Amino acid sequence: MSDINYLKRLFQDYYRNKTNQIPLIDSLNQREFGFIPWDDIIIMNRHISFVNYEAFKNYLSKFSPRHIYSSGALYNNPDHSDMNKKGHLGCDFLIDIDVDHFYTPCKEDHDLWYCKNCGKNGMGMAPNKCPKCGKSQFKSLSWICEKCLSLAKNEIFKLIEDFLVPDFKINKEELKIVFSGHRGYHLKIEDEKMRNLSSAERREIVDYLTGENISYEILGLSDLNSNLYFLEDNYGWTKKIINKIKKIIHDYPNDVLRKILSEYGLNGEIIEYILNDKNNFLKNLWKIKGLGEKTWVNFLDNITKELGAKIDVPVSIDIHRLIRYPGSLHGSTGFRVQELSLSELETFKPLNENNQEIDPIVFAEKKDIKIKIEILENKVPSIKIKGKTYGPYNKGKIEIIPLHIAIFLLCKGVAKTRSFIDD
Amino acid sequence: MSDNFDLATHYPWLPSSLIIYYNNLPEDPKEFISEIFSSTISEEISERTFEIFKAAFNNLENVLYYKLDKLNIYMYLLIKILLIVLNDKILTNRVANLYSKINYYDLLEENDYNIYHIFNEELNLNVQYLPEGEVYGNKFYENNQQKLITNFKIFFIDYLNLVANLRDEYRKLINNPLSNGFVFLKKKTLIRLLQEYVRNKIKEVEIKKIIEKDELINIKGFKELLEKISTAWKNRKDEIEYYEFDGTEDASVYPPCIQEIRSKAKEGQNLIHTERLLILWFLLALNVPIEDTIKFFSTMPDFDQEKTTYQVNFAKRKGYKVYLCETLKSLDLCRANKDKEKICTEGYYSKTQEKQRKIRSPLQYVHVRQHRKRRESKNKNKTNSNTNKQTNK
Repeated sequence: MSDINYLKRLFQDYYRNKTNQIPLIDSLNQREFGFIPWDDIIIMNRHISFVNYEAFKNYLSKFSPRHIYSSGALYNNPDHSDMNKKGHLGCDFLIDIDVDHFYTPCKEDHDLWYCKNCGKNGMGMAPNKCPKCGKSQFKSLSWICEKCLSLAKNEIFKLIEDFLVPDFKINKEELKIVFSGHRGYHLKIEDEKMRNLSSAERREIVDYLTGENISYEILGLSDLNSNLYFLEDNYGWTKKIINKIKKIIHDYPNDVLRKILSEYGLNGEIIEYILNDKNNFLKNLWKIKGLGEKTWVNFLDNITKELGAKIDVPVSIDIHRLIRYPGSLHGSTGFRVQELSLSELETFKPLNENNQEIDPIVFAEKKDIKIKIEILENKVPSIKIKGKTYGPYNKGKIEIIPLHIAIFLLCKGVAKTRSFIDD
Repeated sequence: MSDNFDLATHYPWLPSSLIIYYNNLPEDPKEFISEIFSSTISEEISERTFEIFKAAFNNLENVLYYKLDKLNIYMYLLIKILLIVLNDKILTNRVANLYSKINYYDLLEENDYNIYHIFNEELNLNVQYLPEGEVYGNKFYENNQQKLITNFKIFFIDYLNLVANLRDEYRKLINNPLSNGFVFLKKKTLIRLLQEYVRNKIKEVEIKKIIEKDELINIKGFKELLEKISTAWKNRKDEIEYYEFDGTEDASVYPPCIQEIRSKAKEGQNLIHTERLLILWFLLALNVPIEDTIKFFSTMPDFDQEKTTYQVNFAKRKGYKVYLCETLKSLDLCRANKDKEKICTEGYYSKTQEKQRKIRSPLQYVHVRQHRKRRESKNKNKTNSNTNKQTNK
């Protein structure tokens, strides 16, 4: 049996026996579905709809696709192939946090890139241009670990606690949170009024959440003659920025602070002035020698970047976007797209979850099955799942590993099976 | 406090106006026009409507004889029908801008209750009134702390609906005080949003029955009014083409990014903040007189003579530099690829440096185009004088 067929059978087994773990989403019959089958060429079958929950579950157990998506949008005719004739009725507000879209220090340990032109390779996020040949076509292998998934989780909390609840007054009950089954989390706001927002209006919300297109001039923050402490209670972003500056200045010892402020674009002389006048410097910016508007705005940009939520912008703006169906399996990891309550999220550990009800590593249940695999990629980083580290591996390495690790490596396309071993 | 009836008379674009007055009017525009022009109000309504159009032709901000009476209701409908029949985008924008400005000034005079009533009861938008006022921050002004206080806040979704077309950096949600689902706004700003609503309402085709132009122009009175407006607009339009200021006598040398802004301004559309800065700094860099630069902005829906004069003078004093093409690309204002403009995409050949050079700024584009124009006319003169010489021989 080919590896693809093997994976398909495992997925099918899941969809036939765990239907109770596939939740019913709101207005299922008005949503468009998309599926990526287990073919060599990846093409999504879109414009599919189901009259009810039962029909959807029957489809899953019959076809068990590799990836399963449903639309954030509701339509009169969700299966119409012409988007203009679907009869758009509105779209949930979708937010995607994916560690692939932002820098995390752990990427230097587990992400790899290869230049397609000259073969040069390195660790971390792929550069804009190859340092050897200057070309910009790369093949990359992005990996996951507890650290980066934890950073993604922090971004979800940041979104909820710093923006959605205090500023937008979004009811926490209306938030649907899921672990995406791979590199992050999805958040869906099912609110009738928000469903009617146009793409341009969603863009405004996205700008607010990310800090993009902020005007320090309008907010009064770029005027060096101003006493910025006067503005610290201003509603909205002004307050966030001033509080963040104060927090940084007071939370860190001077040696750490020097490093942080220097990374934020301030020079030694300016930093020493700030350190000597920690409680007052925002009142006297114009007195700081060498601090011009350009340097200050650059500093504010760094603060804004830090404060803004790191979301995948196009997902939130697109009113026809498809998103992974909760409870389905992610075809690139074999992990479950796990729905979570806010309290569950607090202690949730995607790679080592103790609560079986919300454990996304569904195949870890089959502890007895072990598989002999062979590594296909030149280098495969290590992965720590269920408290045990596997790898790193080099090409050609043959190893006997538990089923859930094998599924992860097979789904990632970095290994192939050699044989199945039952204890 | 006015009652609903008063508000409906003053502001014909309100839904209650539709209920109180329009339900009694004929649904068919033809019947409505016939009724109006066969009645005793025919002359007065024609005159008052023409006044509105005349003021709009000239981008005025107000009309002298605008009355908030019952005739106002019929006039609103008549203006909409006329605009549909005339089918001229620039004119529609100018009338919509003027009409919304007239309403803006009137709304500024309304008491807080009426403003609250219009938003909540009429337009079904969630605006909350804070009788004691709420401090939403402070402002640093002339070395002093000044409290920012307002009696109004609007639900963020309703705010977004209203500002959708404003394209103004000041209206961006991120640049506004948002807390607990509400954006805190001064009454004046809230009314400015209402102005935008009115502007869109004028442009909206909501008359139930399709308007057959041929049928309408046979109605006596209407025909005369339509012709009067058309003729006056045609004359004014010719003037606009030739005399109304658009930056230079020869705008053909402008790069596509500037041309785009010019045409938006001509149509009376809103410009985003960066577009305003670009055109302002561009015109000032070309040494266009202050008065003419101010005039350029007069077609915009939110034009305010006093404010613009201050801002233009301020920019002139500061001597801001025009954005470079690189910046324009990052601001999404560059039109080089969209318009497939050769000089922008390919650059120009520099004889002194003997190589192809890239265009780095809109001003450089102007210089290249002017240089080429001069060269062409020189060549033309040369050819002409040679031909003349040959003929004389």
